[in-house]
Amino acid sequence: MSFEKIRDPRRVRHWKGDMECDYIYTAGIAGEKFFTTIRDKAKLLATRCAKCKITYLPPRIYCERCQASLDNWIEVPKTGTIETFTTVHMDNNGAPLSKPITLAFIRIDETDGGLIHEIGGTKPEALKIGMRVEAVFQSKSKRTGALTDIKYFKPV
Amino acid sequence: MVKKRVAVIGAGITLFRRRLQETGKELSHYAVEMALDSAEMTRDDIESVVMGTAPDAFDGIHMKAENLLDGAGGARKPYTRVFVGGGTGVFAPIGGWWHVASGLFDTCLVVAEEKMSPCYPHPQTAFRTIWDPIITRPLEPNLVWIFALEMQRYMQIHNIPKEHIAAIAVKNKGNALDHPSAQLAAKITVQDVLDSEVMVWPVQRLDISPPSDGAAAMILASEDVARKYTDDPVWLDGVGWSLDSAYWTNRDLYFPEYVATAARMAYKMAKIHNPRKEISLAEPYDPFDYKEAHHTEGLLLADKGGAPKLTVEGQTFRDGDQPICPSGGLLGVGNPIAAAGLMKCCECFWQLRNEAGKRQVPKAETAVAQAWGDLMQIGTVTVFRR
Ligand SMILES: [Zn+2]
Repeated sequence: MSFEKIRDPRRVRHWKGDMECDYIYTAGIAGEKFFTTIRDKAKLLATRCAKCKITYLPPRIYCERCQASLDNWIEVPKTGTIETFTTVHMDNNGAPLSKPITLAFIRIDETDGGLIHEIGGTKPEALKIGMRVEAVFQSKSKRTGALTDIKYFKPV
Repeated sequence: MVKKRVAVIGAGITLFRRRLQETGKELSHYAVEMALDSAEMTRDDIESVVMGTAPDAFDGIHMKAENLLDGAGGARKPYTRVFVGGGTGVFAPIGGWWHVASGLFDTCLVVAEEKMSPCYPHPQTAFRTIWDPIITRPLEPNLVWIFALEMQRYMQIHNIPKEHIAAIAVKNKGNALDHPSAQLAAKITVQDVLDSEVMVWPVQRLDISPPSDGAAAMILASEDVARKYTDDPVWLDGVGWSLDSAYWTNRDLYFPEYVATAARMAYKMAKIHNPRKEISLAEPYDPFDYKEAHHTEGLLLADKGGAPKLTVEGQTFRDGDQPICPSGGLLGVGNPIAAAGLMKCCECFWQLRNEAGKRQVPKAETAVAQAWGDLMQIGTVTVFRR
């Protein structure tokens, strides 16, 4: 056995390859309703399990605690509270970003869930855990029925 | 050492379809809810969860079992994924059996899910990278031509005419007419199979099962706990699995030795001495018609090369001496990989409970289910008894 460290794999017998596959993902039964409502009405929907007293956002067609099927859909506010946040200075390859991105986990009001999304309309230094924010939607003509139909969350 | 005898007390299954709008989580939920309802249990009664799901590349979500967890009833529970490629569907209840037979848990929910449709345009792409990158991949193999090589050798060694292989597709697609989940049930003839499009000779369009989306679930319980829920448990009395070398070139493709090894392990555990006499019905893995025959022989239910003739003579039909794939199998019900394997175990459960409706095999006492996969070298076997 050779324990010599190979510094450049191209200097020994080698082949190049990839593991590319193309996909089309569907949003599912709950996702279809959630995203078309964002697209058409700029509103957030949730589902609720009355028995477990849990409101799911993003909505699900089942309760993860009791496994009951859920069809109790409710509209919830587009406002929420920052549970935690961070500012990203490097891209995934370690290169510095020209413009740092601030991301937060936002607990949406009246739900037990929330969204991870960008924060805009403020300076990162101004952010605090517990701060109140609201969703800023793209204009109707730009909305496609996707998470990015919310441009960002901004302080209220 | 088996500490506790393991019972099956509930089962559930979704529709199998080429493309379903539901996410994998949602499909898993439907199957789990049906299984819980059938056992008259709630999620609180479930102590552990085993998820079986085949390559991440189908759903297009790396670590997809983790993604499926909440739909599969796994949130805040001991939850484990088992994975042996195409053999996963029958391996999942084996994983569940470990949980209960060991005495570690009294109940285990076993779920299997596959959503092959996100991989677009065809899930075949996902198989491109399962091969050894140096030895096999330079030839750009696809699964169908690899199987064609195996099918050719099987037919040549035993001098089996294609008509006899085609009879298996006719039987299974016909049996599936009575399965409420079925995707490709049809009344076809041997001639239809022989006239269908040649994909990779000798594999033709009607020799092969379709890609599908779907999920299945099964509830296992220890003997004393099972008795609290039902007077009619089905016993999972034997489990077996075995893998052969990953080198195709070091084995003879005409006989699945790995299935025979797994079957002997399961039969020994279930104290089955003469499987041909003692097994009332079998659900061998049939992604291709010749594979049903190949695996029936691997399960020691027919002589080598003798399985196709059993179908030609009618013995493997539901009213025959040796019913094989009374569900309709993968050829008829559909092939969402892991879910298809668990579907076979569910079929054994329903047959042994006399709950198979129009599919019911008379006097079903003992049943065997089997799946196959990984790099075409694993056999997974479960033996059920009423
Ligand atoms: Zn609930």
